[in-house]
Amino acid sequence: MDAPRIILGVIGADCHSVGNKILDAYFTEAGFHVVNLGVMVSQDEFLDAAVESDAAAILVSSLYGHGLIDCEGLRQKAVERGLDRILLYVGGNLVVGKTPYEEVERKFKAMGFDRVFSPRVDLADVVKMLRADIEARKG
Amino acid sequence: MDAKLLLSVDIGSTYTKGGLFRLEGAELRLVGREVIPTTVDDLGRGFTRVREAVLSRHAGAAAASAVPVYWSSSARGGLKIAAVGLTPDLTLSVARMAATSAGGKVIRAYSYELAPEDLADLRDIAPDIILFTGGTDGGNSRVVLHNAAQLAGLETPAVILYAGNRKVRDQVAAILRGRDVALAGNVMPEVGTIDIEPARDVIRRVFLERIVDGKGLSSVVTEAGREPLPTPLAVFELARTIAESVPGWEDFALIDMGGATTDFYSHTRSFHGGDAIILRGLVEPTLKRTVEGDLGLRVSAEALFRSEAAFLEGRLRAAGADTAPLKSYVEEVSRRTDFLPADPAGQSFDRLLASACVRAASIRHAGVIQRVFTPQGGFEVQRGKDLRQVRRLVGSGGFLAGETVADLLLEACAPGTDDPDLRHLTPVSPACYADAEYLIPLLGNLAADFPGAAARAAVAGLKPLTPRTN
Repeated sequence: MDAPRIILGVIGADCHSVGNKILDAYFTEAGFHVVNLGVMVSQDEFLDAAVESDAAAILVSSLYGHGLIDCEGLRQKAVERGLDRILLYVGGNLVVGKTPYEEVERKFKAMGFDRVFSPRVDLADVVKMLRADIEARKG
Repeated sequence: MDAKLLLSVDIGSTYTKGGLFRLEGAELRLVGREVIPTTVDDLGRGFTRVREAVLSRHAGAAAASAVPVYWSSSARGGLKIAAVGLTPDLTLSVARMAATSAGGKVIRAYSYELAPEDLADLRDIAPDIILFTGGTDGGNSRVVLHNAAQLAGLETPAVILYAGNRKVRDQVAAILRGRDVALAGNVMPEVGTIDIEPARDVIRRVFLERIVDGKGLSSVVTEAGREPLPTPLAVFELARTIAESVPGWEDFALIDMGGATTDFYSHTRSFHGGDAIILRGLVEPTLKRTVEGDLGLRVSAEALFRSEAAFLEGRLRAAGADTAPLKSYVEEVSRRTDFLPADPAGQSFDRLLASACVRAASIRHAGVIQRVFTPQGGFEVQRGKDLRQVRRLVGSGGFLAGETVADLLLEACAPGTDDPDLRHLTPVSPACYADAEYLIPLLGNLAADFPGAAARAAVAGLKPLTPRTN
């Protein structure tokens, strides 16, 4: 069976590139086919790449605190583009200030993201969740 | 030992040109050339006339049968390609690149699922090739298989060339069984990875094997004893060999402007990097061709007048002139496509229209760089191809070949934008040249067999131009 395809990138006007490279290496090592779009990726670029690659998930990073505004509407656009079943993950320093993580998670889930991660998450856990979520979506 | 003579002929939509070259050691020298109007009703007749004229006037005692003939054609609309892709910015954009780089003209482009009206449209526009792409390798197959089923039901004499998701290639071939089908590697095997060479190669073969006949060129194949190249492909291959074999020509561009289209070729690295520059979108190929169907001095003059209205009006206003006389001139020449103005007013109109073509073709071929301010500071974001390293710029085609100063070609350089944070990545201050003897397509025909010699002869035949000094 082919390795599941995932789209990776840092959204908006965010140029933080180091974490992006670490995620690319980690998920590739974990057996995913990673399509890495790098930094400063627009919503449309994520969706175009997902359509062409038939991706199982889009993993959005945001490190500069503007994640809410950058990610708004991504789920609706994905549905409009025919990506009804795609998994949307988001992680990083998603909002400026000291908003509790639970509050951040609630906001992003309300926007249609399946999983929301703080910068302190263990990537091994993310890999496990991603595999399970992809398997569940297939059914 | 006798030096070897070679004849090269190009059948253009307006003129059929022939040139006799002598191969002396490793060099090619022009012996003589002839031009006649293309015999549109029977392309073979004009070919024979040019061949006989060149040989009788320039070949001396050499037996005509001993002179090999190389030739190209862009007559009867050239090589018409319809491009089918998945998303407009990814596979469809790469499909366009593959088609133009193979010497074709993209007459229509379709993204996502082909709808019934798209199929009706495809039947009406009658392309020579349908370049069918979509999906990365192992990627989207749903839309690709849908489109294959749609194309299977299309009544068309076109060759369907599949260059999409490799994983479903066999399925696509099975769905299209019984149709005229060709297969090539995926033009975009991975998001952001462009691989247009395999498709280019198949397009060239398809042109030779299946399309030449329909263009009324089979009698010429018999007479020449050789298959033709599409003219833009001959020029494309010559551009490649010039960049690879003539020192100082690694970064150059060529504008071929005619009555119907303006073609822009560039050879230069697309992206030069740097810490504060971020590239978005596709990394474009080092050798790239674009064709602008609405930029031309005759057949396309009205389209040009519409698409470049703001520029044309601005220039006229700056000179204190009204647009009405230009408008009636455009209406006149778009009907009389062989018209050549004898009066200064007509000549200055042609010059103004040519400026608009050169400027717009350059802007569309080149990318942009935009200054953006982010929480991490200022960055520059590049989209498309960076032509700022282009050191030399060549003008070809009837109008540009006749230029004596560089001013018109320099219209291709760094035109301003209204936005101070946005710059076009056009050439900066290249040395300019005119293809004064119009040898570029003729030497393009010889580029495959005599690459270095054809490249050096093409460069040696160029006339250097300097800006007009006031």
